[in-house]
Amino acid sequence: MISNKVRTWPVIAGCLMAAMMVLVQPAFAQGPVTDDDVNRVARQLYCPVCENIPLDVCGTQACAQWRDEIRLQLQAGKSEQAVIADFVARYGDRVVGTPQDPTLRGLSLVTPWLLSAVALSVALGIFVRWRTAQARSIQTGIPVPAASTSARSSELTPRRLEEYRARLEQDLARRR
Amino acid sequence: MDNPVDLDLELNETEAVPVARHIHPVFVLVPLAVVILLAAIFGIQLVRRGQTQPTEGAAPPFSLTTFDGETYTLEKLRGKIAVVNFWASWCGPCRAEAPELQKAWEKYRDKGVVLLGVAYTDTERQARAFIAEFKQTYPNGLDIGTKISTDYRIRGVPETFFIDRNGKIVRFFMEPLNLSMISSVLDKMLAEG
Repeated sequence: MISNKVRTWPVIAGCLMAAMMVLVQPAFAQGPVTDDDVNRVARQLYCPVCENIPLDVCGTQACAQWRDEIRLQLQAGKSEQAVIADFVARYGDRVVGTPQDPTLRGLSLVTPWLLSAVALSVALGIFVRWRTAQARSIQTGIPVPAASTSARSSELTPRRLEEYRARLEQDLARRR
Repeated sequence: MDNPVDLDLELNETEAVPVARHIHPVFVLVPLAVVILLAAIFGIQLVRRGQTQPTEGAAPPFSLTTFDGETYTLEKLRGKIAVVNFWASWCGPCRAEAPELQKAWEKYRDKGVVLLGVAYTDTERQARAFIAEFKQTYPNGLDIGTKISTDYRIRGVPETFFIDRNGKIVRFFMEPLNLSMISSVLDKMLAEG
């Protein structure tokens, strides 16, 4: 039979270790800035020499120097946004791909919204027309005809459908 | 049994002229406006691309703060001949040109000529190392925000502008210079007074 004294030691040791894990904050060593860290920032910047080439994939010496500069700033403790802001301050909006021409810059801000508004308006217009046709169909009890390439069939209002139906019945009666 | 009625044919025969489809003006005007807008964007871009460096007339004003902390402006340089050279430490031809520019500076600095080096999209560390390597003593500074290079519409480096005492561009080079080329321009500008 195991004595009580022997059994309590493992329990005490376990409790002490658990307490240490909770109370003592582990000190993680600050790792060096990796290439991935640099490229994460570089991906958001553009080559100063070549047009529209992101900094992370550019092979020129200028880009290599800029990536070194990013690495130094990250190592100095700057955040990614602070590094980008520094580059914009030093080299202008072109480094983040913003057009330098004021007119183009304004248009680049307005145009996506305008195109979205146009697309939304067109979709809304089509939806409203479809719903109107559906509502009319429910009201008159006449099913909305399927889409046809004929311009004639696109104008099948309930009144015209009634006319066709009457004509059809006349023709059928004549032929009996 | 009677032949089946060709109803479609009957309907076609009695059918009137097809009614024109009614399209709301908005669905015409808005896409048209978008097309015009996109054309304007491309047009402006093409025009901007076509604009080259100023090779004559009034030089665009600039303000350059050198690594020594001094500020040079075009206005302050009135009455002197200014040579504005755009360079970068990563530029191979700039390395060939650097000693020649230093020689020109030593030859003309006491004759009312100011040589300014504008470091284009360069890091300060690399630019200073370049200056130290070539032992350049003429004023050099970073083009903060690439404002000066934008105003001068440079396409690359090295590019050099010779500006007379009245602030007008007299000569422009889009190639690395040597002392002979620099002297041929400056001697003529100095002779003209």
